[in-house]
Amino acid sequence: MTMKPFLTRLLVLTALAMPSAAMAQQGAYIDDRLNQLQQSITMLTGQIEQLQYSNQQLKAQMEKMTADYDFRLDQLEKGKGGGGGAAPARPAPPQQNAAAAPPPAAGGAGADQMYHDAFKLLQDGDYAGAEKGFKNFLQRNPHHVLAGNAQYWLGETYYARRDYQNAMTSFAEGYKVYKTSPKGPDNLLKLGVTLAALNRKSDACAVFSRFSQDYPKATDLQKRRVDQERQRNGCG
Amino acid sequence: MMIPRHLRTVLCAVALAALSAPAYAQLTIDMTKPSFEPVPIAIVDFAGDGVGGEMATVIRNDLQNSGLFRSIPPGSFIERNVNANAAPRFPDWRSVGATGLVVGQVSQVGGNLKVDFRLWDVVAGRQADGLSFTSQPNNWRRLSHIIADAIYKRVTGEEGYFDTRVAYVSETGPLNNRSKRIAIMDQDGANNRYITDGRTLALTPRFSPTLQEIVYMAYGENNGPPRVYLQNVDSGRRELLGNFPGMSFAPRFSPDGTKVAMSLSQDGNTDLYEMDVRGRGMRRLTNTPAIDTSPSYSNDGTQIVFNSDRGGTQQLYVMNAGGGGEKRISFGDGRYATPVWSPRGDYIAFTKIMGNSFGIGVMRPDGSGERLLSNGFLVEGPTWAPNGRVLMFFKQQPNSGGRAGSVSLSAIDITGRFERQVPTPTDASDPAWSPLIPQ
Amino acid sequence: MRMIKAFAAIAALMFIAACSNNEQAAAPSGTTVTPGSVADFRQNVGDRVYFDTDQSSVREDGRQTLNKQAAWLKQYANYQITIEGHCDERGTREYNLALGERRATSVRQYLIAQGIPAARIKTLSYGKERPEVVGSDEGSWARNRRGVTTLQ
Repeated sequence: MTMKPFLTRLLVLTALAMPSAAMAQQGAYIDDRLNQLQQSITMLTGQIEQLQYSNQQLKAQMEKMTADYDFRLDQLEKGKGGGGGAAPARPAPPQQNAAAAPPPAAGGAGADQMYHDAFKLLQDGDYAGAEKGFKNFLQRNPHHVLAGNAQYWLGETYYARRDYQNAMTSFAEGYKVYKTSPKGPDNLLKLGVTLAALNRKSDACAVFSRFSQDYPKATDLQKRRVDQERQRNGCG
Repeated sequence: MMIPRHLRTVLCAVALAALSAPAYAQLTIDMTKPSFEPVPIAIVDFAGDGVGGEMATVIRNDLQNSGLFRSIPPGSFIERNVNANAAPRFPDWRSVGATGLVVGQVSQVGGNLKVDFRLWDVVAGRQADGLSFTSQPNNWRRLSHIIADAIYKRVTGEEGYFDTRVAYVSETGPLNNRSKRIAIMDQDGANNRYITDGRTLALTPRFSPTLQEIVYMAYGENNGPPRVYLQNVDSGRRELLGNFPGMSFAPRFSPDGTKVAMSLSQDGNTDLYEMDVRGRGMRRLTNTPAIDTSPSYSNDGTQIVFNSDRGGTQQLYVMNAGGGGEKRISFGDGRYATPVWSPRGDYIAFTKIMGNSFGIGVMRPDGSGERLLSNGFLVEGPTWAPNGRVLMFFKQQPNSGGRAGSVSLSAIDITGRFERQVPTPTDASDPAWSPLIPQ
Repeated sequence: MRMIKAFAAIAALMFIAACSNNEQAAAPSGTTVTPGSVADFRQNVGDRVYFDTDQSSVREDGRQTLNKQAAWLKQYANYQITIEGHCDERGTREYNLALGERRATSVRQYLIAQGIPAARIKTLSYGKERPEVVGSDEGSWARNRRGVTTLQ
């Protein structure tokens, strides 16, 4: 029969066609799956990037807030304890007016408000406004429990504007008058940093070298910071 | 540094003795201030040889186009014949409102062109600057730009950018079969010439730091894939930068000119590579299943900013120049593309795609301080002037009724205050601003 | 023997179905084009598929076109093909070159999965440089986001 080989061929062809079609289908399916997977990876990558970013933003915000809270709590506690009398046994360094330890609070609620208003301006980046606020506060309440802090922040308003000359004067004043204030260590550190910014390296080093002597109870962070600054400025 | 043939000149600059003690009081402008008035300046046709008038015109255009100067119309000048080597009558110039006055003298010395110019501070009544240049006579346009740069620098305190060139894509023909050729012109539109013949599409030209060479991407003959070419601007000799199976595109020189970063596409995936121009060694910089393209080196060559859609939409990323340390920097609404690092290092310019409009903006290299300078239906592809204070980009109008919208170049200063169209003989896209021409 | 007959019948049916399919495809065009010619491919199969904004996966309507392309290309195995990838104008030049390449590749992969040998298929991206329609509206952009199968 001539029909038979033809049929056989047809059969073979059909049989061959079936699996290859099935394979093609499977290939297309795998391609699809791959594309889908790639798309979800892409989506996830984007989401991770976004999350990392907002996480970073939140962290920065948190740090700022924590610092602020720490500071406020610190103040509250100090306020309760009568303020400033924590370490009277500290040895007085030479050429230092030891009588400057701040006596208990003089001003009232109005003074607190004044301080916090100025501090708010500082946080908002209104350095000129903050400068005015802290100056007013200091003029009227030179013996307030927050006076040492105000003196320090006054210096910061200049430092932030790179007015290192005035920053130096202000920090130096802080060291002289409010040495035992809770901000004392920060004040001294910043005085050194400002001197370094003014290119007065040896003066800066001299200031840093006083640090451990004047503030043996400074926090680890502050001590580390001083060590870093000493290194940066090549202090011996 | 070797100076390209087409730029080689007998060029020397000598400071002119001041006719009076210099005073730096009045004639200054602080570009960074949020608002300022353009400096009114009077530029008198240079005395002497025939090109003096044309030179003054070139200088007027340069300064006026910067947006920082207002050129006082010569018709209003009271003192017409100013002696370039004597003090002018200051009251005459004050009364026409000039703050600055530019005078010059052109002469032929031994077949060369000698140009003396002085910038007078009219308010202070003192000389602010004075220089003498010698060059080949056909170089008068360059000399004019160099003088305009000197004035710009003296008044703003910033380096000038007038003695520069712009490479761009010249577009002609219907939109669905358009011819796109690489052209180079002076920054002010003069001396336009074509670098490719237009037989195949050529796109995205970029200058080498010496201006001797450009890299660009062009399609091959007969449906050949797009490849990156390196072409000598003088000789026209061009060579393929690497022969890869897929498409290579988006080339850009490193600041020292020894490397070219570019994109390679294989199997639909596009990654960044870096080629050593001399040794032709190729190094892979990114490896993601995403599109990584439009690389641009930082001014110090240590980092690369680029465009990737690895996170689902086009965003900007910064990585180390050798690859690695990739970090996304753009997080605003919309898609970001074509990042370009400023030659000063302080900003990254980019194209931003927001719904129905496009914008040109700048941000700090860490992604902060994003600012949009210009927007429109389609604005794209910023490039920095060498002083990092001005950007050029291209702007396409919408197509309508089957007719292509025009495509043209625009320049804008980074405050976004002053935008102007840059004239080109044809439709133009994809500008690349050169560094200052080596003197 | 009965089984052979049954298979034969099925095979014959498939054959007929295939024929009528061909006729159906050829019928609406009305013009006479040489089967197996470039014109045949363009008119009776369809040489292009369209993409969604910023997407490079082949849509359902595109798959049907590509299925037909695959069948035709198997029949006329003498052609080498290049898939051109294109984008609309609402993107930047360099990114669109890469996106066009991605689109062309996704068409290529689909055809390979349908049994067209990879060696027959090249890709070429035109980004946004060669629009099909000159217009700045959603309708024009939709037609410019395309993958075009060209025969050589």
